[in-house]
Amino acid sequence: MQSLYALLQMYETEYIEDYKKSWKKVKLSNAEDLLKVAKALKANGLKTIATVSPTDFLEKNIIEMNYFFEDLISKRNCWLKCDISRELDKCEIESITPLFKGANWHEREAYSMFGVKFLHHPDLRPIIISQDFYGKAPFRKDFDWDAHEANTLQNIQTIVDAFKTEENENDKGIDAESSETVLNWGPTHPASGPIRLKVHCDGEDVISIDPDIGFVWRALEHLVTKKDFIGAIVAVERLCFMDNINSMIAYAQAVEEIAGTEITEFAKWMRVLLGEVSRISSHAMGMGGFYNALGLHTVAMWNMDMREFFLDFLESYSGARIATAAIEAGGVRYGLQENMLEELQLALDKFDATKDDMRAIFVKNPTMKMRAAKQGIITAQEVEEYSLCGVVARASGVKVDVRLDEPYAAYDKINMDYVTQKTGSANDRLVNLFEELEQSVDIIKQAKKHIEECIKSGKFNPTKDHMVKVPKKLPAGEAISRVEWSRGEVLMHLVTQEKATSPYRLKMKAPSFNHTMMLDKLLKGQTLSDIPLIFGSLYICQGDLDR
Amino acid sequence: MIFNIVIFPGIFYVLLWTVALFWFFRKFIAALHKRVGPSFNGPAGSYQTLFDLSKLLTKESITPDGVNPYLFSIMPILAATIAMLPTAFIPWTQTITVVQSEYALLALVVLIGIEPFLLFLTGFGSNNKYSFLGGIRVLTQMISMETSFFLSALSPALLFGTLNLNAIVEQSSWLSFLILLPAFILYFIALLGLLDQPPFNIPDAEQEIVYGFYTEYSGTNYFLLKLAEFSEFMAVFAGAATLFLGGYKGLFFDGFIFLFIKMLLIAMFMMVIRASTPRITMKQMLHFSWSYLVPLSLLNVAWIMLAKIYLLGSLS
Repeated sequence: MQSLYALLQMYETEYIEDYKKSWKKVKLSNAEDLLKVAKALKANGLKTIATVSPTDFLEKNIIEMNYFFEDLISKRNCWLKCDISRELDKCEIESITPLFKGANWHEREAYSMFGVKFLHHPDLRPIIISQDFYGKAPFRKDFDWDAHEANTLQNIQTIVDAFKTEENENDKGIDAESSETVLNWGPTHPASGPIRLKVHCDGEDVISIDPDIGFVWRALEHLVTKKDFIGAIVAVERLCFMDNINSMIAYAQAVEEIAGTEITEFAKWMRVLLGEVSRISSHAMGMGGFYNALGLHTVAMWNMDMREFFLDFLESYSGARIATAAIEAGGVRYGLQENMLEELQLALDKFDATKDDMRAIFVKNPTMKMRAAKQGIITAQEVEEYSLCGVVARASGVKVDVRLDEPYAAYDKINMDYVTQKTGSANDRLVNLFEELEQSVDIIKQAKKHIEECIKSGKFNPTKDHMVKVPKKLPAGEAISRVEWSRGEVLMHLVTQEKATSPYRLKMKAPSFNHTMMLDKLLKGQTLSDIPLIFGSLYICQGDLDR
Repeated sequence: MIFNIVIFPGIFYVLLWTVALFWFFRKFIAALHKRVGPSFNGPAGSYQTLFDLSKLLTKESITPDGVNPYLFSIMPILAATIAMLPTAFIPWTQTITVVQSEYALLALVVLIGIEPFLLFLTGFGSNNKYSFLGGIRVLTQMISMETSFFLSALSPALLFGTLNLNAIVEQSSWLSFLILLPAFILYFIALLGLLDQPPFNIPDAEQEIVYGFYTEYSGTNYFLLKLAEFSEFMAVFAGAATLFLGGYKGLFFDGFIFLFIKMLLIAMFMMVIRASTPRITMKQMLHFSWSYLVPLSLLNVAWIMLAKIYLLGSLS
């Protein structure tokens, strides 16, 4: 950390602060210094960029750029800020993509949503937004949503026209005599989900892949600014329905930090418990999805069967199976009754009863090994370079897990370790997914035991301790909050203004965004059969891809 | 003869088989999946596939723009007809064999072998990238799988010295079953390839190329293609049971029921593989076929010849 401080002092800054345990928060005086600082940070070991998040300050007439640099090995992080002009033609900043490949799509997103032009960006096209939003910067505070939505028909026409132009131009420039062609893998494809991969292929061989995303863009980051702090959780949990609890934890933590609220010990343990149940629900689907992509549906069905028991627990706790809205700032929403833990025990028993079969038949499946052990290999260097996280990073042997790196809730009292594999192949990601399922079950058992003991000894009052009051109006401030989501690190950057009743800006960095970026690199030169394999192995959810 | 064409083992029997096997597949794989499967219509959902198929028959068959409508619509009819023809050569019981022929085995093998080529043409005639890729895949798979299919299917002929299926069934015994066991295993693997079953379901790999050669088909045409697929199942299963497992010969008495049970056992085994094995790639299939399956089939022919000389010397 000292070397980081010395490094940052060499530049003109407004302030350098310590933030949390592992962060340095810096504001640069000149935006021109950005590239130099980024280069120095990279040389210092901070090789990963989590995300690029602009915040639009209408009254000050500036856009504040936030860069979150991370060092996955020594766990030092740097939050870099700088101001740029808000006017559309002057709103530009040097791109850091040439240095940090992981910033590529994040900068494109900032360009689409805020109109920030990144100079010397290799591929600055709009992303996520549909054609009717091109050049309009919809996340700026002065964008008129009502006016935009007033001429819906015109907007639809724009999208249709753009599609037709593209369809006509697809096969142009391709030699008619050759077997080259452009295939659409999605968005209404049996295995794709709402994402479109434009596959440029020669017969069975893939030449290049251009992912087209944004089919489930709900503008969640904008939506939360229209709701109060409690109402925002229903937007936040829709990051991805499969693991909604952990995304709500991230948001609640950011709100609590700004409000200065400390939640109770019981609520912390409940967050661990619920978070892991949610992770199991997601990992079970992820494993099933991986096998579904190879035409084998048994795993998905078996996992669904097991997952239902965990959803039963969520239902008895919150009343809902999927969109639980169970975490809010100040703790967890509901108290705990004893029969709920019995329900959880049933789920744990169910998992233990099926896991041996699962491991023997599907995790060690020889055909799967034959297919996937040499496919989609991601090295540890690439993990840092492309800002990968979660299961994908750990399968490559990188020890990164926010639960251990920056413990939140009650994870500091849990006995756990990094689950990693060695080679980073698609098969390793599958094995890692299963081992993390087992780890989650183990964590649930620890948390459940602790909660039961503390209730018995009278330390926790399960019906009263779950919430502390958080003021409805928050002071001006900003916070970042990281959690280990089922697919990897979720970083939420929350900005509030004085006496705010709703978030001013919430940036959600979601892991699938970075993982989808890898598709072209991993699939170049492979065959069509490898697309579902690698796509499935990256554990992508379109919900957090588009937001 | 008319009874044979219309009722057994003709059109009605094939339709019944298609409907029943479809239902059986769904129910059986549901059990492996820990699901229930069709359950609302009829006892244990058994009417479900009947309703499904009658729905397909009454739906509009859409012919896409830019295709040759004759080629597009004639291929499913041709595919279904040719897939049904082998049933005529199968000895269903001691007495029921529609076409008694000295070359029945040859006819069976050729009629089964022609089918993938027709499916290739359906893909070729669809004017769709996915269908075309599917068609090419069918053809590639056919070429690499049929060598071992033919070699293993002709092993009994080599052993018994006849191409007459009735004669093959009559001569079969426990000893011949053991001698033909390697040939049966090779036949079964090649069968998975020919019928596009996992792990060789490459031609209609829906996660890769949507539905392969089926992609553009709907309504009656789709129904006919499915009928062709299930008739093909019947021909190939019945062929396996006749050639290697002693056909209609049973434990205490002989009869159609034993042939049927043998066919079902093969179907069930195929389903278990379907429920536990992911798909392999084209390259792996080619490698597997030409590096292992074909050489082994040739070795198997040598084994049959040796067995015929030294084990069954008295028979020849």
